[in-house]
Formats: sequence, C-alpha cells, structure tokens
Amino acid sequence: MTAALVTDGLGKRYGSQWALRDCTLEIPRGSVTALVGPNGAGKTTLLRMAVGLTRPSAGSVRVLGLDPHVDAAEALPRVGFLAQEHPLYGGFTIAEMLRVGRELNPGWDEEAARARIAELDLPLKKKVRSLSGGQRAQVALTLALAKRPELLLLDEPVASLDPLARREFMQTVVEAVADRELTVVLSSHILADLERVCDRLVILAVGRTQLAGSIEEIVASHRLLTGPRDEAEDVARLHDVVRESHAERQTTLVVRANGHVYDARWTVHELDLEEIVLAYLGQDAARRREAVLS
Amino acid sequence: MIWLSWRQQRTETLIAAAILALLTVAFVPAGIHAADLYVQQHVARCVDRQTQACGFVVGNYVLNTGVLRGLLDSGWFNLIPGLIGVALATPILLDLENGVVRLAWTQSITRRHWIGTKLGFAVGTAVLAGAGFSALFTWYEIPFDRIFGRWDKFDFEWLAPVGYTLFALGLALAVGVLVRRSAAALVVAYGAYVAARLFVQYWLRQHLVAPLSATWGPRSAGPNLSSAWVISQVPSDKAGHPFSGGAQVFQACVRSNGDGFKGVSQACMARHGAGFTHAVYQPASRFWEFQGIEFALFAGVALLLTAFAAWRVLRTD
Repeated sequence: MTAALVTDGLGKRYGSQWALRDCTLEIPRGSVTALVGPNGAGKTTLLRMAVGLTRPSAGSVRVLGLDPHVDAAEALPRVGFLAQEHPLYGGFTIAEMLRVGRELNPGWDEEAARARIAELDLPLKKKVRSLSGGQRAQVALTLALAKRPELLLLDEPVASLDPLARREFMQTVVEAVADRELTVVLSSHILADLERVCDRLVILAVGRTQLAGSIEEIVASHRLLTGPRDEAEDVARLHDVVRESHAERQTTLVVRANGHVYDARWTVHELDLEEIVLAYLGQDAARRREAVLS
Repeated sequence: MIWLSWRQQRTETLIAAAILALLTVAFVPAGIHAADLYVQQHVARCVDRQTQACGFVVGNYVLNTGVLRGLLDSGWFNLIPGLIGVALATPILLDLENGVVRLAWTQSITRRHWIGTKLGFAVGTAVLAGAGFSALFTWYEIPFDRIFGRWDKFDFEWLAPVGYTLFALGLALAVGVLVRRSAAALVVAYGAYVAARLFVQYWLRQHLVAPLSATWGPRSAGPNLSSAWVISQVPSDKAGHPFSGGAQVFQACVRSNGDGFKGVSQACMARHGAGFTHAVYQPASRFWEFQGIEFALFAGVALLLTAFAAWRVLRTD
C-alpha cells in the first residue's frame, strides 16, 4: 500500500525566497503526524502543496499515490484540509455550511455532520459570523471530517484558540482517528498541542526536514550526554550530535544515538519529546544566526 | 456548486432585480401613456414631415409624455448596466480576497469546476439583467424612435446594453484578480467602465464605419436626415469645404428686402464661400450594423477580461 503522503525534494519559491526547500519525507497510512517547526519554516506551504492549493517549484508531492494537481478530481475527494484561518462563508448559517459540504462532496456523511453539530450544541440556524473562534474551528473540522477523507491535513488548527477550545478540538481529532482508518497530519509551532495525539513527528526548520520518525523511536534514541570536553569529538564519531554546548572543561551534547551509549566518563540522561524538539529548533536558530553573520 | 453559486450571488442578483423592477415601475406606465398619446394625437402622420404644424404636434407630444423621457435623455441611466455588471463580480472577488476559496478549493470539486460555475452564473445573470434593461427601453422608445430615429437611444436598445453589462463584469473581475482588494478593484473597474463608455460614445463609435457625407445648396432639401445620426452639419461652399468666414460675412450679406425685412443674400454668401450645407452622418439603415459592432466590441473585450481572470484564478498559489 502506498504511503499517505510522500514528498521528494519538494520545494516552493516565491520570487527569490524559498518558502520550503528540498523536503523529502514519507508519512505512512494510519499515522497521526505532528509537523513541527518555527513560524516561516514552510509548514503551511507543504500542506498547501499536498492538497493542490499551491504548485511546487521543485521536486514532487504525492498524496495517496496521486499527484494533487494532475489528478485533482481523483485526489480531492480523498483528502481533507483545514486551513489555518478556518475559512467558512461568514454570511451562511451552519445548516447552509453543511449544505455546501453535501453539494461539493460525493462522500459526504450528513448524519455524522448533524450529530457533531448537535453535540457541539450549536443551533443550525446560527450564522457562521456569530460563532466564537472555537466554535468556528469545530464547524470547519466537522466539514473536513464529514467529507470522509482518507488523509486529513490540519494547518495550525489550534493556533488561534484558547486552551479549552484547543483541548476540545484535539479531542474531536482523537475521536475521529479512533473511529476509522484515517491518516492525519497536523502542523503547529507549539508541540504541547500535538504531543498527546500524535504517534509520529516531523521537524521542519529552515525550510528543510530536520527529523522524521515515530515519536517512540525518537524519544528512545535521543540522549543528553555530559562529559569531558576533549572527548566530544569521539562521541560525534559514533552518534549524531544535534546540539552541543561547552563549559570550561565539560561538554553537554544532545545526540541521536546509534546503539547504546556506554561510557563511564559520560553521564547519560533521557530527554522528553519537547526537549528534543527544542534541541533541533535551537540548532536551527544557531544556523540562522551563522547565516546572518557570514 | 450550482446551489452555492446562487446562494453566494443572491444579494447581488436581488439588487439587480430591484433596480430593474424600479425602472419597470417607472417606465411601463409612462410607456403605455406615450404609446396611447401617439395614437390619440395622430403623431404618426408627422413622422418625417418638417412642417411648422408638425413641429408643433411633435413638440406637444414630447411635452405631454412626461418627465421620464427627459431623464432618459440626460444619459445618467447609462451608469446602470455598469453598476449591475460590477456588482455581479463582487461575490467572486470577496471569496478570493478573504481566503475562503481555500475552503471551496479543498472540497471534492476541481478549481476549474469552481471558477467555471461561478463565472457561468455571473455571466448568465449579467446577460439576463442587460437584456431586461434593453427590453424595457427598447419597448418604451418605440414611439420616440419613429419620430427621432433609432440612433437617438442607441445605447439603451437591443444588443448594446447586454454588451455593456458583460463588459463591466469582465472589467471588475480582471481588475479584482490583479488588485486583490475588492473595494478598490470595484471603484477602479467602475471608473474604467465609465471612461470606456464615454470614449466609445463620443469618439470611437462614429469612426467604426466611415460615415456618409452630403453637400447641398439652398434650393435643395438635401438628404433626409431626420432619422439619421448627424455627426456634423455646417455651412459650407459648393465643394463641401466648411465655411470659414466669421460674423462679418453674414453682416456684409444682409440685404434689405424693400419691405423693411432683412434677409441674407444667398448669392452673396456663395461668393464668400458659403451658402451650402455640408453634413456628415450615419444613415438609419446602418443601425443594426452598429448595434452588432458595439455588442461585439464590448462583449468581446468582456470575454477576454473574464478569460484572463479565470486564468489568474487557476494559477493562484
């Protein structure tokens, strides 16, 4: 079975600026993937290219084995997308929004959509314009889910929401994933929003993929090492150093370990996911500083 | 998609319908009155007759048909097809401006399908609105056209208003996809619509087909220009060169007729290079030719502008 989303050397350039560059990744079916990176890392661009809103300038993207541009008619019914600003027709009532979904999607699940709106305690006659940010996000998500997609792409879905609305939104996503076979990719610049829900992680920074894999494997392989400064290079030969900081005689390393780390002279600590992500993003910030200075 | 297009364009369609309803309420009773009066006052026998009595009959008739015809004469109603056309572009432009297209374009229909249906709806409504506008005034003008000829309200009749409405729609769409700020785009497009209409009406149209010209002397009636579009009619010499002398020539040629009544001596005028009349005009028989050209011109440009807008939408990243 083909992967849900595959990109190969994917890039997008606006004028002379690359919004995303050389992005190669594969997201297996049935996974829930967090796409994490600082603002401007290209997360939105990547997701828009996956759903065919934006054309790649370089490389290729395939969703469910299809080219989202060339095979749009075939790919679109199978991919759900929720843009960051949760776009809905402001002057429409919720009932009219559901009708939009029904008219534009052959696989539309009217029953599920109505049940979801009832669960949210929203009257069908209410205008979209008068909804709160959280309600609006929920209605937009309801639309994306009732389309019954195989792949659901959520671009910064909770960035604009308050903590309670965030929790409720993510709860809906969790329920949807539990309900049926659904691959989800969520982007965010705040990992905490996603950690509870996701089983895979992709870190995107400086417009490139920095790390991709299952969260379990990522947490298992990353270690914080503290040891003598003059032996840091020996460690680097064996393991991938993500980040290093030096004190006078002592060095602290975040490494992606290849195999076990045994060495009496180094103290080994486990890291949680957030610390690992921060190490990668810190690396990104350091590179950017270098780029500015050079 | 059809329901969505209708739902999104509902307000603008109702505005267009309201404008046309308002015009209908005003002009239908006036039109019935004008047609009745035309029969009652035997205006038909004065068509193409230049006698003083007929001048009185026609003048009286126009006076009695009410003020609406004068309102139509003022030309302000030329703004209406543009207003409707520009209004019909707004739902599409607003969708593009506020990013809600990202919702529509990620449902199960292709972008091509989306823009095709949206434009189909807007263009269809524009054609209907333009045709309604035209039908009303073409009907209202029937008696007046018999008297003054069909050139008089050329841009209110038959095909022309449909072309104008489509043109305004196309302009607003094309400017809108370039500017991306709907309010500014609508203002710019409307300004361009008015400018283009004025340019065609006061300059371009008379050059579309080379006009006819005629020169005739004081004893000849000349061609029948009562239902022609007279572009210019000036005193001239026998060859048709316009009379270049000033008021002093007229004064020099004033002769006393003996009974104390003064007149201009035609022989004297002729000696000074005048006494003839030179007219440049489009004959009534060219009305349909010009209607066709005017429609093709505006609808053709509208087609190009609309196609450009569609192309830009399909290419939007």
